[in-house]
Amino acid sequence: MPARNHKQWSAKPDLELGEWVDSRIYSDEEIFEEELDKLWKKSWIALCHESELPEPYDFRTGIIAREPVIMVRGPDNKVRAFLNVCPHRGMTIERRPSGSFAPAQPSGNPKHMTCLFHAWQFDMKGNCVDIPRQKEGYQDRLDKSSQGLRALRCEVKYGGFVWVCLDDHTEFNVETWAAGAMDCIKDSLDAEPLELIHYHKAIIDCNYKLWHDTNSEFYHDYMHYHNRITGFNDDYFQRECSAYDNGHVNVGTFTVNYEEYDVAEDRGTLSFPNLPPDNWYMVDMFPGLNFNLRGSVVRMDLMTPLSANQVMIEFRGFGLKSDSPEDRAHRIQHHNSIWGPLGRNLHEDLIGVAGQGTTMTPKSEPRRILHGRHEGAYIHDEIGMRHFYESWGKKMDRLPSDPEQKYKAGKVMGPEMPPAKGLSTFAGKGA
Amino acid sequence: MSWEKICGVSDVPENALEKFEVNGIELVVANYGGGFRAFPPRCPHMEEALCDSAVLFDGMLTCTKHLWQWDMGSGEKTGIAEKELLFYDVKQEGGDLYAQVDEALVYEDDDDEDEDEDDEDFFNAD
Repeated sequence: MPARNHKQWSAKPDLELGEWVDSRIYSDEEIFEEELDKLWKKSWIALCHESELPEPYDFRTGIIAREPVIMVRGPDNKVRAFLNVCPHRGMTIERRPSGSFAPAQPSGNPKHMTCLFHAWQFDMKGNCVDIPRQKEGYQDRLDKSSQGLRALRCEVKYGGFVWVCLDDHTEFNVETWAAGAMDCIKDSLDAEPLELIHYHKAIIDCNYKLWHDTNSEFYHDYMHYHNRITGFNDDYFQRECSAYDNGHVNVGTFTVNYEEYDVAEDRGTLSFPNLPPDNWYMVDMFPGLNFNLRGSVVRMDLMTPLSANQVMIEFRGFGLKSDSPEDRAHRIQHHNSIWGPLGRNLHEDLIGVAGQGTTMTPKSEPRRILHGRHEGAYIHDEIGMRHFYESWGKKMDRLPSDPEQKYKAGKVMGPEMPPAKGLSTFAGKGA
Repeated sequence: MSWEKICGVSDVPENALEKFEVNGIELVVANYGGGFRAFPPRCPHMEEALCDSAVLFDGMLTCTKHLWQWDMGSGEKTGIAEKELLFYDVKQEGGDLYAQVDEALVYEDDDDEDEDEDDEDFFNAD
């Protein structure tokens, strides 16, 4: 087709509903605000890992849908989550990313969270335990026992990740939320305690869903000649995508030929427990969480949407807590050679989504974003994105391809395809 | 009960607080002018380290975090303090200070004792 004018460019593509989306879902600020409420505040988010707060009174702070969250480990070793907000005047209680409440703070006591502003103090269970001059100021009208922190639903699950959900009344726990999507890596993550071995973050000028999309199809790897001759064998492109309830997708394993990688060594001996040597699973959790179990290392990406056109991505790498120093050094090298800021493939993905972000700024001209490839639910198939946007549409009650319209079911699987593994309800044709 | 040597009298100048360890038990020695007191290292209010954060002046020990005070002469709480300090018996003999520290004095801990809150009812309560 020749180049198109505005009307032709805006016309619906010759594909079925569910096989494309309107680019406004990546750029519209009203839709973005609605996503925070309907998706991010309703989902279970793995906000950190228990090894980031290993000792009693350790804490880690984070953000879900602009709400500041603090996770603390109590003297009973239990991890709890609260809004990181003082009930007095709404001050952020703790501003550090992580640390310990065991030592005294400038205006507070040991073993307590203390608001810097007026020194209200809280214990590790969120009880308010001290209001300075309570009697003088409030007489008997207000008691600290009524001024506890806002507790959040919190579960440590799947290898020690700390999952938080802002919705008190969610119908899910972490396991039912995952709906089977984590089962393929669960036994490897749960075999023995994990430990954080890598952390970095990137703030990218693109919508968070674009990062999810790039993890949902792997055929961009096919375009890199380098990949096709160095380790990504035919089996790589036969990896099967499976869709699960709540919008999750996982990608089945294959055996990586590390000996064909430049500067890479075989990872078989260091591969995770309950994982065949050099295998690689990936799990995409709705709406913005990604687990990669690749031989000797686990990677977890957490997206934090900052605006319609900006996302913070935190990249964490994990080894085994029992690692010897030598094994740990190898795992770190394995992690960084692929996924470090100067690794083999991470920057390519970041360049991809940053380029998309440039074309999809708020109020930019809408266009069609296509994900209509059907190739047997393997790597070249875009079922991952179609499934994600069906769930997105249902939860948002908007039609991804025309977001001013209410949701109706689109096509996820080709009619010749059997239903993907793990899916109990299915929106698309061919279910 | 036995007397254990804690320090030399000259190791703790007037109005000073010094921390020592005897039999694996930490204690703070206060020279308040009229004599010596020895007590556990943490404030009975919110576990502040008294050796770092308390001020000793004019016979009065003041924890600077919430201004709880104790009269070192009488040993009693004063001002807004709500709990008594616990003291180890001390005596001076020659140039040395002795205390009876057979076991650590502990304050009744009044937090972290409540029931677990994370049952289903918690998040659905009115």
